[in-house]
Amino acid sequence: MPWCIFPADKGQHMIRISDFTFQYDSGRTPALQNINMTIADGDFVGIIGNSGAGKSTLTYAMNGVIPGFYRGDYYGSVEVNGMDTVETRPEIIASHVGSVFQDIDAQMVASVVEDEILFGLENFGIPHDEIEGRVTEALAACGIEDLRMRHIDTLSGGQRQKVAVASIVALRPRMIVLDEPTGELDPQSSEQIFALLSDINRVYGTTIVIVEQKIALLCAYARKLAVLDHGHLAFFGPVREVLANGRAMESLGIHVPRIVSLHQALSERGWYQGTAPVNMDEAERMAREAMQ
Amino acid sequence: MKSLLVYIPGDTVIHRLNPCTKILLPLLLCIACFLTDAWWFLLGVLVLDIGIGFLAGIPGHTLKLLRGLGKLALFLLVMQVLFIQSGRVLATLPLGILITDHGLQVAVMGVLRLIDITLPLALMIAVTQMSDLANALVYHAHMPYKYAFAITSAIRFIPVFTGDMQMIMEAQTARGVAFDTKSFWKKLRLMIPLCVPLLISSVKKIESAAIAVELRGFSLRTRRSAYRRTSFDGRDLTAILAGLVLIALSVVF
Ligand SMILES: Nc1ncnc2c1ncn2[C@@H]1O[C@H](COP(=O)(O)OP(=O)(O)OP(=O)(O)O)[C@@H](O)[C@H]1O
Ligand SMILES: [Mg+2]
Repeated sequence: MPWCIFPADKGQHMIRISDFTFQYDSGRTPALQNINMTIADGDFVGIIGNSGAGKSTLTYAMNGVIPGFYRGDYYGSVEVNGMDTVETRPEIIASHVGSVFQDIDAQMVASVVEDEILFGLENFGIPHDEIEGRVTEALAACGIEDLRMRHIDTLSGGQRQKVAVASIVALRPRMIVLDEPTGELDPQSSEQIFALLSDINRVYGTTIVIVEQKIALLCAYARKLAVLDHGHLAFFGPVREVLANGRAMESLGIHVPRIVSLHQALSERGWYQGTAPVNMDEAERMAREAMQ
Repeated sequence: MKSLLVYIPGDTVIHRLNPCTKILLPLLLCIACFLTDAWWFLLGVLVLDIGIGFLAGIPGHTLKLLRGLGKLALFLLVMQVLFIQSGRVLATLPLGILITDHGLQVAVMGVLRLIDITLPLALMIAVTQMSDLANALVYHAHMPYKYAFAITSAIRFIPVFTGDMQMIMEAQTARGVAFDTKSFWKKLRLMIPLCVPLLISSVKKIESAAIAVELRGFSLRTRRSAYRRTSFDGRDLTAILAGLVLIALSVVF
């Protein structure tokens, strides 16, 4: 049994954005300008940038919300799993791409957790004998089995975020786009969400695109990093390569992890020649080498 | 105010009724209350409402609802008594305002009707899970899901908006606006300007809710999509028949 409803076509890019510019009808300047990026099937991409940089807008371009629901000037093209988002109905794109939005409360449709997870499964016509298994699996994956019968109004912000993620995970989409899903979570729960996404990414090959302000988490889990600045894609590439532009990132107001700043300082003084570390093991190695 | 219009989980006879029955019954009661002219009939319906609340295992909630409604009712009662000046004069107040038997009668009937109609609706919300209501309306009543979802979302969003209003008021309080004033009018005057930010935030919320729902396959849903089936059995039939009997009685009296 395939894990997702629609497997990716072989050799396809999951996302292909070409010369994409978008300006909301009510906006004065384009929210995104001249974006070019491709995301391979099975990749794990983090998006970072200041408030208003266009992170949410970029996720809207990937899940068909633009041009499906927001009107504006649209240039260039966006393809999702080979489908042009202008020509494909949003609900069809949605069966390939699951979305967790920034405003969690607006996303909730039910009053009880279980119903929230059932909603999408029912809509997409998942066979009824498969549903129970999907619900338990999604709840377990997000570590919220005990919340199943709880009233959503009585949950904390963090618990709600896990419910929102679970309701998308249950659909087993080919790709999941999440807009700041850890915004209200404590460090431990944020880490849990990332670990969960990382598992799904590794085990099922689900493509993950996540907007996140906590750069240390992105560095630890994502494979690629996209840095947005005033609607421009300032950097996009493997985490390590993007972090190598530490100074430029700082000037955009994005604070790179301390170990990366340290690497910056060490290499500028000529004490260390290796690439920037992205986790503690690599940091330790760098420190040891630099001291010799 | 926040906790009055919410679902209270339970497993009583009332909870187990089909959601369609639960929404139909208040409507039948409503019709009966409008058709009747007898005050004792209205009083009887009130007792019935309270009985249903107790049967549903939520006596505390029922009385709280009643108390809330009672305040509003008292206000309307006084207004009507003061405004209706026709009929036999029972007493004369300063400024030549009359209290008449007709005024008193109309006021009492109006207030009883108001409570009789509102209380079952509020109770319905307390004993019905909204997703089940939507599914039942679609499956049993053949209502398009779009409308069923709109109805249940409207009910579900009430506490959300109350929460938003609370938040806006707290923000204003922090800036020195005193909402804890005793005067009803003064409080109302302070609250009305806040409706604009509430409206804006609500419209935004509804817009993003609509998008989120659409992306979860809302428009692909069919009548048979619902996973949990609600059954329609003898108990439901009995309840609806009882409602129809009440309507028949209300025509007679
Ligand atoms: N629905 C909309 N209508 C008009 N303009 C919008 C709309 N949504 C966003 N914008 C504008 O587009 C720009 C990019 O907004 P976007 O929400 O994508 O930023 P963001 O990076 O997600 O910010 P944040 O970190 O605050 O979520 C902003 O200037 C914003 O004001
Ligand atoms: Mg955003």
